[in-house]
Amino acid sequence: MHDEMPEGREPFEDDGFDGDLLEAELRQAAAILDPVPAQLRENAVAAFALHDLDARIAELTFDSVADAIPVRGAGDVPRMLTFTAGEVTVDVEVTSQGLMGQVLPPRPARIEVLGGPQTAVPVDADAMGRFSSDAPLTGPFALRLRTGAEVVVTEWTRA
Amino acid sequence: MTVGTAPSAAYDDVSYTRGGVVDRADVGALVRSAVDGDAAAWKALVEGLSPLVWSVVRAHRLEDADAHEVYQTVWFRFAQNLGRIREPEKAGSWLASTARHESLKVLKSLRRLTVTSDPQLLDRVSEERSPEQSVLDSEEAAAESERIRWMWQEFEELGDRCRQLLRVLMASPPPSYQEVSAALGIAVGSIGPLRQRCLRRLRARLDARGAL
Repeated sequence: MHDEMPEGREPFEDDGFDGDLLEAELRQAAAILDPVPAQLRENAVAAFALHDLDARIAELTFDSVADAIPVRGAGDVPRMLTFTAGEVTVDVEVTSQGLMGQVLPPRPARIEVLGGPQTAVPVDADAMGRFSSDAPLTGPFALRLRTGAEVVVTEWTRA
Repeated sequence: MTVGTAPSAAYDDVSYTRGGVVDRADVGALVRSAVDGDAAAWKALVEGLSPLVWSVVRAHRLEDADAHEVYQTVWFRFAQNLGRIREPEKAGSWLASTARHESLKVLKSLRRLTVTSDPQLLDRVSEERSPEQSVLDSEEAAAESERIRWMWQEFEELGDRCRQLLRVLMASPPPSYQEVSAALGIAVGSIGPLRQRCLRRLRARLDARGAL
């Protein structure tokens, strides 16, 4: 390992240094000065309701933030996301106004925009599978699609 | 009856000697119970592993709003994938790895927007008072409180690498080295030496300050 070592004289012999004790003190400090916010903990407990064994999960297979080459000078480019579950693909474009997207291959579907365990806004996809919602996304979201007898839920993603 | 010898594993000498792993021995069982619909098991998972997720997010120096979103995304996704996690006993590593991945994505999107780097980290510490902090209000506890604050300041001023490693290690209960590895993308074998080095550096800073 070639870590930076400005002083270059860290003792290797046992000098009675107790790393475990110092780490324990740090743990105590973290619990006091930077604990998990109580509200977040409650949100995570409530997230148990999102556990759904029947739905198929559509995985995030493209994310413009992670996968696309940045466009120089383009300030407000929409976020492009693609979710895939088997033969079903969902393309989503997220903007500050909301989102729009399309289910492929094209098909009608009933879609819910989920914003957490308690939030679901229904939107309909037309015969071409296109849908849009003008409710701005404020945090993590997922889409639940019902098409025919099948339920597909996209992987939870930060908007 | 299992008496005497502990179960052996590849990294016996480093990770399995850490106290938190004992507390986590039943993580796999909790995951399986939660899959079967046991809400109390889910709650126990959240209680036991929340500090790890939070530590990973904080180790990446995300600001509050981003940190909150990543934390939630990680738990929502964990709930969603609960029945599909292949190795339930490694749920901590799964959470740590997902938190790392999402944190890095945030950092990438921030760089793209060329936001100025001004995390105001030290200010945050002095402004917010947690419930535990209020307990330290007696005069006798004031010195202790001051000591903790100093230690935190010195910790925050360590180099990025040490600050990041220690922020994950100080999760409660202590994470296993597999979890630390998943949280930071570093080899399990390098964690022990790096940890020792970073703790020594912190010790030296505190000594120089005459804090302890």
